[in-house]
Amino acid sequence: MFNKDFWSEIFMALRRNKLRTILTGFAISWGIFMLIILLSAGNGLKNGVTSNFADRIQNTYTIWSSSTELPYKGHGANRFIMLNNKDIQLLESLYQVEEVSPVLSQGGTLIFGEKSKMVSMEGVKPIYKNIEGIKMLEGRFVNENDMKNKMKVVVVDKNTNDELMRINGETTMLGKTVYINGLSFTVVGVCKGFPWGDRGQCYVPYSTLMAIYNVKEYYQLAFTTKGLDTKEENEAFQKELKKRLAAVHEFSPEDKRGVWIDSQMVNSLETMKIFNTINIFIWVIGIAMLISGVVGVSNIMRITVKERTNEIGIRKALGAKPRSILLSIVMESLVITTIFGYIGMFLGMGVMEIVNMVMSAGEVATGGGEMSVFVNPTVDIKIVVLATLVLIISGVAAGFAPAWNSVKVKPIEAMNYR
Amino acid sequence: MIKLNNINKTYFGAQPLHVLKGINLDVAEGELVSIMGASGSGKSTLLNILGILDNYDDGDYYLAGKLVKNLSENQAAEYRNKLIGFIFQSFNLIPFKTALENVALPLFYQGVNRKKRNMMAMEYLERFGLKDWAEHYPNELSGGQKQRVSIARALVTSPKIILADEPTGALDSKTSAEVMQILREVNATGITMVIVTHERGIANLTRKIVHLKDGVIESIEENDPDKMDFTKEIK
Repeated sequence: MFNKDFWSEIFMALRRNKLRTILTGFAISWGIFMLIILLSAGNGLKNGVTSNFADRIQNTYTIWSSSTELPYKGHGANRFIMLNNKDIQLLESLYQVEEVSPVLSQGGTLIFGEKSKMVSMEGVKPIYKNIEGIKMLEGRFVNENDMKNKMKVVVVDKNTNDELMRINGETTMLGKTVYINGLSFTVVGVCKGFPWGDRGQCYVPYSTLMAIYNVKEYYQLAFTTKGLDTKEENEAFQKELKKRLAAVHEFSPEDKRGVWIDSQMVNSLETMKIFNTINIFIWVIGIAMLISGVVGVSNIMRITVKERTNEIGIRKALGAKPRSILLSIVMESLVITTIFGYIGMFLGMGVMEIVNMVMSAGEVATGGGEMSVFVNPTVDIKIVVLATLVLIISGVAAGFAPAWNSVKVKPIEAMNYR
Repeated sequence: MIKLNNINKTYFGAQPLHVLKGINLDVAEGELVSIMGASGSGKSTLLNILGILDNYDDGDYYLAGKLVKNLSENQAAEYRNKLIGFIFQSFNLIPFKTALENVALPLFYQGVNRKKRNMMAMEYLERFGLKDWAEHYPNELSGGQKQRVSIARALVTSPKIILADEPTGALDSKTSAEVMQILREVNATGITMVIVTHERGIANLTRKIVHLKDGVIESIEENDPDKMDFTKEIK
């Protein structure tokens, strides 16, 4: 049955009916192509936003000082609450808290050679690198030794590095001495830049900063936690922490302000929820696309077979057996859908790979300081193959029913069909 | 060759239509028979039943000694392929196949290989003066050429019987005469032929004229076409 003659008949029929073949094929290619583009774009969006969070350890918290809203225990409203070492001790006494780093902020001017730049200097502990998800490009972050010996070392961001190094023709400030507010620091590392603001960002050991500026209080505390996996656990912890801090600083535990407790995890849970929704949305659209593809392909197949009713009648009159007619129609649709389905698949994946390549190249060029909105916009090949198969099968199935009908009908009726 | 016993056929529609009311007919091997009648007389239905393109409700139909009744699709296909050659008013050529491929198609269904069937098809095309047109598509051929292609297609399997439904219906009188001449020559080789027509001129070229009216055979007229004057127009 499936000899050379059979296949040459099929390919001849496809070649001789070019318009029909191309229209059917185009519908299939387009369906697959759009499906891939859509799913890839959705994946890219999702990957892009999650990559902005993935840099950070997820179970981190930040406490921000703030002014009170309610009067409490003889204190008036609008009293500014500053954080201090007692808060660190309090946090360290909690079993959910792993490691705490105060964040001391100090604005300043960084001078290197002839050039200077406004920077925001943060005194932190080594753990802060993990809390904030700081990416080191060269050298190292602040370490325990720096902390202990109050070393005057600094980690600068890539933006600052690039801006100040440009004149010297070298590429890295690593190992150089810079002056911040008149004090000399040694650059021990360069980290990935930040997309926001013109100010440079640099990190020094918090003990060093404390000694220099004699800081006793600070605006920000960051810490990692353990065992807080759900939203409920996090909320309970936040409430408990607020109560404790309120007791220490004598503000109302009911006060909405006083201190801000910001949970990275709750934020990321919220974001994940949004992305799950987006994901579902993309799938719904994708499936809708697939269905419209199936409907389109099925329709074309139905029309194609209807159009061939006369031909089927003639073939029957000449002695074609039902099986032979059915097989050749099914095989023709199978050949069209398979070839064009894979063309669409190939084009769709090709386009997305090119987009991906162009975007990766762009990221390298900007030094990676950008917030990525769109990362790795590709789609699982298994899903693509599955979608292609669904289209192929539905196309063939759709062609099968009218083919079966015209094969079943009396030859004279098929021949006279208009 | 053909034996019809009390064939009845009704089309069941909104208004049931009894088109054939007990047809009895014998056609011997090698005969040239025409079935004449006005439109609606049931002549095409009768031919379709003879060609196993349509079924009948009642009676018996023997073709080449075999009872044609309640055949499976495959059996019917086999009979049509091996025993019967069709010639239609509207030619019924497959538009996307060349003249040669159209003629070779019945052989494809017999499982004859490409080389052999193209050779056989070419022989028949040559016989009807269409050698130079073998690679042309039906829409590049004139009506007469198309009908000659379909005659070649009907003959390529060497059938026992040729059934022609208004073979000259779409042709002018000159071409009609040519086609009838070919059919008579084919019949002369011993192939049984049944021609349905509503034209007296065509019927006059056959040896037996079956007159059909309102689903019954009115009369069967013996005719001697050799007495006809071929210099005269047949229409």
